[in-house]
Amino acid sequence: MPLTVSKVTLGFLAACLAGCGRNDVQVYRVSKDEAKPAVQDQSSGMPAGHPEVGESAPPGLKYTLPANWQEGPPGQMRVASFRVTGKDGKQADVGVVPLPGLMGRDLENVNRWRTSVGLAAVREEELSKLAQPVEVAGQAGQLYEQAGENPGSGEKTRILAAVSRQNNVAWFFKMSGDDELVAQQKPAFVEFLKSVSFSAGGPAAGLPASHPPIGDNTAMPPLMSATADSAAAGSSEGKPDWQVPAGWQEVSAGGFLVAKFMVSGPDNAQAAVNVSMSQGDGGGLAGNVNRWRGQLGLNPLAGGDLTQAISEVDTPAGKASVVDFSGKDARTGQSARLIGAIVPQGNRTWFYKLMGSEQVVESQKSAFTKFVQMAKY
Amino acid sequence: MVFDRLINFFTSLRLTVVCLALGILLVFLGTLAQVDLGLYKAQNEYFRSFLVFWGPKTASWKIPILPGGYLVGGVLLINLVASHIMRFKLSRSKVGIWLIHSGLILLLLGQLGTDMLSRESSLHLREGEAKNYSEADRQAELAVMDITDPDTDKVVAIPQGLLMRKNEIRQAELPFTVRVKKFFANSIVEDRPAGATDPAPASEGLGPRAVVKELPRVTEMDRRDVPSAVVEIQAPDRSLGTWLVSEYIEKPQQFTYNNRTYKLQMRPRRYYSPFTIKLLEFTHDVYAGTDIPKNFSSRVQLQRPDTSENREVKIYMNNPLRYAGETYYQASFDRDDHGTILQVVHNPSWLTPYFSCIVVGAGLVVQFMTHLLGFSFKRKTA
Repeated sequence: MPLTVSKVTLGFLAACLAGCGRNDVQVYRVSKDEAKPAVQDQSSGMPAGHPEVGESAPPGLKYTLPANWQEGPPGQMRVASFRVTGKDGKQADVGVVPLPGLMGRDLENVNRWRTSVGLAAVREEELSKLAQPVEVAGQAGQLYEQAGENPGSGEKTRILAAVSRQNNVAWFFKMSGDDELVAQQKPAFVEFLKSVSFSAGGPAAGLPASHPPIGDNTAMPPLMSATADSAAAGSSEGKPDWQVPAGWQEVSAGGFLVAKFMVSGPDNAQAAVNVSMSQGDGGGLAGNVNRWRGQLGLNPLAGGDLTQAISEVDTPAGKASVVDFSGKDARTGQSARLIGAIVPQGNRTWFYKLMGSEQVVESQKSAFTKFVQMAKY
Repeated sequence: MVFDRLINFFTSLRLTVVCLALGILLVFLGTLAQVDLGLYKAQNEYFRSFLVFWGPKTASWKIPILPGGYLVGGVLLINLVASHIMRFKLSRSKVGIWLIHSGLILLLLGQLGTDMLSRESSLHLREGEAKNYSEADRQAELAVMDITDPDTDKVVAIPQGLLMRKNEIRQAELPFTVRVKKFFANSIVEDRPAGATDPAPASEGLGPRAVVKELPRVTEMDRRDVPSAVVEIQAPDRSLGTWLVSEYIEKPQQFTYNNRTYKLQMRPRRYYSPFTIKLLEFTHDVYAGTDIPKNFSSRVQLQRPDTSENREVKIYMNNPLRYAGETYYQASFDRDDHGTILQVVHNPSWLTPYFSCIVVGAGLVVQFMTHLLGFSFKRKTA
């Protein structure tokens, strides 16, 4: 018996030692088909917490070039590069990087930027204090400003970095360079962010035809959701046949909206009407209602609270779900009201959003409702 | 004389008690260490080691403060086996003790086997997608692919462990040597800013246009390191240049040598299997009127060409697919509910804990019954 135990032990140890060969080089053949994934991974190709670097075609970007900015060649990851030169020859570099997929966490990115200017890393709970609301292509984004000394050169350096997540793509806009120059250029940078629009053909549009529509990302925080506004990127179809109310001024809709109208009130108060369309349910009723609530800084609703918040109106396409919320615009911090209507029409969904000054929204409520009800598809 | 002392030492009951006490202490401290180190680093430092080292955070030196899991487990195993050989003679009255000890030895060996032979990986599938490989969650590999042939690619996969340890990797299937110039266990790769004056990380492929920065190792459970490396391809007659390879760079980088075309790619380590799993449908049920998850399930198609096996299987929580030595558990899913993530566990010794418990249990019963019956018999005859 002792001999048997010893033999078994030795045999087992030998097998275990063979298992240590897990660090051996492996050689094998795979067919060409196996070497390619059947469809493009949407989320899990990259490790959690890190942005992806895709090989999909870079998304298109339109913008208004600020004065004194010079365009540079795009890089492997950048879709646009700019150089800004100050009066004393000091320079700043601007880059725009779209990262499809998981998009990474802001905390790592902010801490990376902070490390590069010699600042200590911050914790998750401190991050929100650093985020300045900013508008990027008509959507909410976060601007992080870090200033310090470059640990390598000792030069005073400043980094302005804006992050906006749209249509399952995280857009990173970063200006870095001489502290004083970058500080001077901040207003131009913010204006540049506002002027940006994304054209279709981006990573999401690059998904294969068999790929299900992206948009039902209700597990994500509202501002990180693949928004229905942006999910309309694939919309090349015409606008519905509608009667535009008096006083509504149609403006450039940007890359992802079907139409956009501005409505002005007294004391320069304004509201905007955005119309977008998405294939499928565009992320679902709850996801979009809560996304809108997020734009007003309101907590998400669920269950009975959500049902209570939704009323219905008749439209030619069927019943539309209407919500009406008041809060503070997450981008500006000012009081705002939002009336949204979600109109399912066959295998697609239309999204109407009236948002802006409470006074203007109140005055336009009936016109907006009529606009939604009268639209013919 | 020395041999006798060694025998006495290794067969000592005191050693057993010390080992068990150290084991308890190790489990306690290792569990606490997970707060700072995270699960995987704590496991490696406390349990998959011979000694546990400690040093001030700012210092570069470390001193051993505790025996690690391998040392405690190894000594305990030797202690058990040696005690058996030297002390216990197989007799009817000792059968229970024998069984208990055999069960414990089996348990220790089983855990060693699990540690050495098991591996975990993930299979991520979108609906309609099929794959015949899973990917390691926390291990990368440098794949050197010869793509010259029209039908198949020959892949030489160099595991991360080798890239970290060895400077030069020669492989009979490759007509060149792969030299690891730099290895970053966790890193980020960015575009190289225009006008940058510091040297580019590599001369070929994306190298001249990129910057690689080393990052601290991550400890959180839901994140992982992204390794990068700078490798030089050294042919017998000349160097073909250096390449920056990283999991950040999804697109393989291509070069040619001796009229053959190769691709280089750092990617999660792949484990191929002789069958294919295709995701037919992923279902995510919630309780009516709430967002509370009720059930996650993946309906998959298992296809194996060499046995003509072709069947549908439903994998859901607590109902894994066990097939060909692998176990597929429902682990996670894509946010849009159109993709699934299956955890793939390969553990040849997964049954040993069950067997050990049965053997130990049987030993306890036998030992107890032996004493009970003996006592009862003595009472009757008294």
